Amino acid sequence: MSTGEQTLTVSAGAKTRPRKAATRRQKQERLVAVGFLAPFMLLLLIFQYVPLLVMARNSFYDYSLLNPAAEKFVGLRNFADMIEYDDARRSFGITFLFAFGVVVFVIPIAFALALFLNSKLPARGLVRTMIMLPVVTSSVVIATMWSFLLDPSNGLINGALDIVGIARQPFLTSTQQALPSLIAMTLWQQVGFGAILFLAGLQGVPSELGEAARIDGATRWQVLWNITIPLLSRTTLFVVVIMTVFSLQAFAPAFLMTQGGPQEATNLIVYHIYNTAFIMQQAGYASALSLVLLLVVLAISMVQMALLRSRWNY
Amino acid sequence: MKIYPIVFASLLGATAPNATGAQAQTAAACTGETVTLRILRTPGNYPYPKPMEAWQKENPCVKFEVNEVPFPQLADTISVQAASSNPPDIIVYDGPNTQSYAAAGILLPITKYLPKGWDDDILPATKAEHSYNGEVYSPGIEQTTVAMYYNKKLVEAAGVKPPQTLAEAWTWPQALEAFKKCQQGPAGAATVWGLGPTRFGNGQPGLVYQDLTYQRSAGDPKAAPTSSAYKTFWAFAPDGKTAEGYLNTPEAVEALKFYQSMFNAEGVAPKVGIPNAFFDSKACFYIDTPAAGNALIKDPKIDWGITPLPYFKTPVVHTGSTTFGATARSKHPEIAAKFVVDMSWGEYAYMNVSQRGNLPTLKSLFSRFDVYNKYPMKVFVDQLQSWGQPRPPGPKFAQYDKIVSEALRGVAFGGNPAELMADAEKKVQRILDR
Repeated sequence: MSTGEQTLTVSAGAKTRPRKAATRRQKQERLVAVGFLAPFMLLLLIFQYVPLLVMARNSFYDYSLLNPAAEKFVGLRNFADMIEYDDARRSFGITFLFAFGVVVFVIPIAFALALFLNSKLPARGLVRTMIMLPVVTSSVVIATMWSFLLDPSNGLINGALDIVGIARQPFLTSTQQALPSLIAMTLWQQVGFGAILFLAGLQGVPSELGEAARIDGATRWQVLWNITIPLLSRTTLFVVVIMTVFSLQAFAPAFLMTQGGPQEATNLIVYHIYNTAFIMQQAGYASALSLVLLLVVLAISMVQMALLRSRWNY
Repeated sequence: MKIYPIVFASLLGATAPNATGAQAQTAAACTGETVTLRILRTPGNYPYPKPMEAWQKENPCVKFEVNEVPFPQLADTISVQAASSNPPDIIVYDGPNTQSYAAAGILLPITKYLPKGWDDDILPATKAEHSYNGEVYSPGIEQTTVAMYYNKKLVEAAGVKPPQTLAEAWTWPQALEAFKKCQQGPAGAATVWGLGPTRFGNGQPGLVYQDLTYQRSAGDPKAAPTSSAYKTFWAFAPDGKTAEGYLNTPEAVEALKFYQSMFNAEGVAPKVGIPNAFFDSKACFYIDTPAAGNALIKDPKIDWGITPLPYFKTPVVHTGSTTFGATARSKHPEIAAKFVVDMSWGEYAYMNVSQRGNLPTLKSLFSRFDVYNKYPMKVFVDQLQSWGQPRPPGPKFAQYDKIVSEALRGVAFGGNPAELMADAEKKVQRILDR
């Protein structure tokens, strides 16, 4: 009886035991941590979160950048306009198609390149340099270079097609070919980044698992399909999310190569927002578009994270 | 070891007298408070240093702080800076935006600062473009328009003789025949193009400044105001309230089908830019402003001539250039307005215009530019005075320009002219309704 009471008391005592006061050193360390974090947090607050709040507020107003003082509260009209007119719908549709095209091609090609770079085959260094060069090259340079390559009259690609007897293609001046051309250019530019991420993931996979499977009689293909790919799911998720977000935020190709055309075939949403705010002088409507884009990117990222959640750890 | 103090001392010695001298000069000449005028302009644009320095001698208390941005970023920069707490005092901008900036309260009306006789001396197209609600917002310095240059060697080799006067100007079908005769290589992939690409923007077709004249020239300003011919010519309601019925007209669509054929079926003009195509003898004909002629006079890379811009029914060329104005929220509006007006009048205007070689906006200055009194450059003066029209003016010009340029580009790339112009009308209307 007494033992039981004692145990209970000890247990209760353990639950209600007051938190040990922080030592002087711990307090000092916390202060140092706050000191290091504060400048960044402050910058984040001023340059990220405050503008986000201002943008959300502006999406309920109609105003021009030329004369913001003459702003007018319009309630939900900017959002209603997105439904009433087809510009937002079309632009979001084109952007999703662009993002889908980029992700669908980047993931397998980047993975294949990473497998090559992780092997002991020759010329790995050369290939690594070749695929990383576009990643570190300015988007403006790449866009200009591809504009020349895709010239419908005298471009290098049309010259090559001509040699093999294929008719010249209009590429960026065609409503059907302009978006695929931009996807191809983005794929060329981004695949190196995806490959490096996959390579990092591959080098973290324990080699014993594959070796054990091989001893048990698994083929190379079975090891890849049943062990390597499942264990890389975290890396895959990261690459998918990063590439999706990059693609949804793409601006330079539309701005520099096509100006959203022809006939809005490449009017990517961020370019559309820029155009709406700075050329059309509808900054309120542009804010509403930006807010919707933010929510869409968040929603897509969350769905991707839920679908591709890692089920294996190592 | 001891060389560094000596070098440092020498540098000090070399710079000190200059600094002192400059300060002394300002202090001696300026008896009142010093004012700094902040100017936003594009590189290589007026106001030029020489007239500025001359003006400063008369106004010693005024200093300048000049900021430059490339032309493609100019409108964006003005959008941002005009709304800031410290806007520039003077802005250089694209002339057709005058009404947009005036309506937004960015520009200061300068009517009361204009000198006597200005009204009679200014080109009517310039005054119309730079006015809004009865007030003048920019005096303008120079004026431009486009004509068609040709490469004499290529054109003569093809047996083509382009007209040199407005009375003999080609129609577009006549011009097309000349392009076809002169072009070398297959249609759509020529080695020497019949008509070279523009140097404006990214070199693609569709710019309102150059290409809206195709359909406007298919209209008739003397027809009944309710007729489609009349509306085709103006391309925008004269009261600035609508574009519906002004872009998608039967005359405009017919002209645009011809325009489209040049880039597609006939293949005499490229769909994308080719840097320096005309100057490198890669094009027989080429449409540009007097700036190209002045560059060729200074550096005659090729033997060249000018022929008036072709047309369908009514000859028309667009006017307009960069211009400048004082800002309404300038901290020194009186001085800024005085500077702007002074720079565009009399000797200062002559100094500014002669620097770049475009046409002046003051009729009295034409006689002082010999080059414009004889062929080939005289074609520009004649066109300006007989055919010149501002681009459809209005407080939403920038939006109109973007929407219609995209529609024209769509036509050049093979889109349906009627559908694209109908879509452009709707988009312009949406902007006007806001």
